[in-house]
Amino acid sequence: MSLSENFFAGVDVGSLAAKAVILKDGEIFATGLLKSGVNSVESGLSALNLALDAAGLKKEDLTYIVGTGYGRVSAPYANKAVTEITCHAKGANYLHPTVRTIIDMGGQDCKAIRIDENGAVVDFAMNDKCAAGTGRFLEVMAEVFKVKLEDLGAIALSATDTVPMSSTCTVFAESETISLIARGEKPENILNGIHHSIANRIAGLFSRVGITSDVFFSGGVAKNSGMKSAIEQALKVTIVRPEIDPQLIGALGAAVLARSFAKKEGLWAA
Amino acid sequence: MGTQLFRYSEDNKEKFLESDNITFNDGSVVTPEEIWHYLTVEGPEKYPGSFEVNLYQGNRASRDETLPTSLKTHYLGLTFSDRMEKAKDRGKSIAFIQGGQAVDPYTAADTIALRPGLVNQWYGGLEHGNDINKANLRRRKSKEKAFHDMSFEACQTGGYEHVQEGDLRIDVIAPYTVLRCSDVSYGVEAHRHGPKKDVKLFNVDYPLRYQADKPWAIEYFAQNLRRLVGTLDEVTGRVTTEEDVTKAIQLHNEGRRLGTELAELWWSADVPPTNSADRASLVALGNLEVHGDVQASLSVLKEAKKFIAERVRNGVKGHAVIDNPKRIFILGSCVGINGSRSEDAGAIVVGRDDQWSHCTSLVEEEGDPYYNLAKTTLEYPYEQSIEKRAHWTIEQIRKSRADGVIFIHNWGCNTQAAVARPIVDIIKRETGIPTYIHELELGGLQHEQEQNRVNAFIEML
Repeated sequence: MSLSENFFAGVDVGSLAAKAVILKDGEIFATGLLKSGVNSVESGLSALNLALDAAGLKKEDLTYIVGTGYGRVSAPYANKAVTEITCHAKGANYLHPTVRTIIDMGGQDCKAIRIDENGAVVDFAMNDKCAAGTGRFLEVMAEVFKVKLEDLGAIALSATDTVPMSSTCTVFAESETISLIARGEKPENILNGIHHSIANRIAGLFSRVGITSDVFFSGGVAKNSGMKSAIEQALKVTIVRPEIDPQLIGALGAAVLARSFAKKEGLWAA
Repeated sequence: MGTQLFRYSEDNKEKFLESDNITFNDGSVVTPEEIWHYLTVEGPEKYPGSFEVNLYQGNRASRDETLPTSLKTHYLGLTFSDRMEKAKDRGKSIAFIQGGQAVDPYTAADTIALRPGLVNQWYGGLEHGNDINKANLRRRKSKEKAFHDMSFEACQTGGYEHVQEGDLRIDVIAPYTVLRCSDVSYGVEAHRHGPKKDVKLFNVDYPLRYQADKPWAIEYFAQNLRRLVGTLDEVTGRVTTEEDVTKAIQLHNEGRRLGTELAELWWSADVPPTNSADRASLVALGNLEVHGDVQASLSVLKEAKKFIAERVRNGVKGHAVIDNPKRIFILGSCVGINGSRSEDAGAIVVGRDDQWSHCTSLVEEEGDPYYNLAKTTLEYPYEQSIEKRAHWTIEQIRKSRADGVIFIHNWGCNTQAAVARPIVDIIKRETGIPTYIHELELGGLQHEQEQNRVNAFIEML
């Protein structure tokens, strides 16, 4: 490794996971991902250190770091903080320049984002303060059904029916699910109903911002094939999924922005 | 973790001491020396929360200290509760009213008119020594209790609670009901059935919207205003004449003119002459009701206009305003964004429609004062149909050279939540300016979710 090479990092500290991506000369060089803790500074640093270890680098080797996610307000290691909405836009544009619409479903919020050909945000909408329709919602449901979070989607896809869910509040949905199980509904059909109820919420967000192809799915929930299918049905679109872990898109976008900020500030010349 | 308190710097004291006195309704005067003493000695002891350096107040170690009227609005805010208590001790009558309405008839009837936010401010200031968290917990406690007492959640419930609990010496509940907000109407209905019956209740029945061109509606509302003044007179024991009402209109028109001129002066500047918070607090003086003292508001407003003109002339930029900030116009009732945190993110708030609509509505001074008041009130741009309100808002957005618009509605504010989307759609369609709709919880401190959305919008701009 030559010291004249330039490395840029993005660190995304979300409510459930902390993620870091290091770019080397514009290419993804290393990543780090772990469950985030209460201390967002430590979570971000741990994710960054994971990525640094994977890259064989030290923090001092990084030219510029951008922090994003809810932890960005306390990220002393970062040169700049940017919201994850902007970062997801940049990350999606980096991987697929033809993407114009992003569905980002993270731990505690979901976002509908429309972007232009440069990855700049044109419009966006987010869920309200309630955590319904987010990763945390699915985590709670996985706990109710005693199944692994990553298996939820496949179980939902095996359903023969869709049980309507009358409540989309995370806490109330849990009790409603328990009563549906007690009523004898099949778990896969309930889970299918849960996925469709979340998908309809997402569709509601898009009524505000509109949809233009290509449509990209990022965030931890994008790993869930049942959710992808439900959203495709609700929005009547085909979704592009990233080649890398979809949880890393925010951190990737932050790293892309780090490169661009460093250039603007004269810290690096292409 | 120790709390760091902001202190006004002695470096600016000399300039401040050269500024004007504040004259109050009762003829009393407070000098800059007395204000300075309050802001540097008494105020920080009584209300440490207001001097706390923390994230909610932008982590800023200073306010706009070189703008004397910024300090004066701070003073009026801090002394509000004490002044209301003193007014009551002197036998002054206080009415609980609706937000978004002018207070000319109340001024005419020698009654202090307080909208829900001010009622909460009065209650908040009764307890001393609270840091920002304790002060907020106190407000939240009232809100939660009111939710249960009224058995529904609305955004403005403190007024109901404080009257029912007897926390505040309010003499009469007399809002223009059905004006822009469902929550005060709900609160009034709850009062009607509440256990505490010794507070007079009078509904100034505002005809359902979009009746401004109908003579019967103007006459009907004028009759209501006459009855309102009659009710206020029953409380005070005095007789308010038409001449008193005309004089009140003239006085309030002076405030409205000055407030409008100040805002337009601010908009005309190449660089923002104040930050978001100072702009808002100075323009708000135009309605003369914000500090519960018409004359005090007017005297600070007059001086503020002079200072802003000087800043605009000299190209002075407001405290902590960045170069070329993105200009944001805020829509919605009883809402706002955190000015300092949004400024840190690269923006500045250049206007709001709330309270501004009736500030720009001058009342005819010749003829029947009740008819004139009724006519103007029915013509408030904020109260018109969605299409009309949107077009008036577009005018304000253009005048203020806003780059983006955020429509905010509080949790529980059904009226504004319902109109947000169509208004924003018209604005977007006709101006092409980016817009965002945003829901807030009234009176909270933990606004990370909301600020995240605002910051993303600013980045988008």
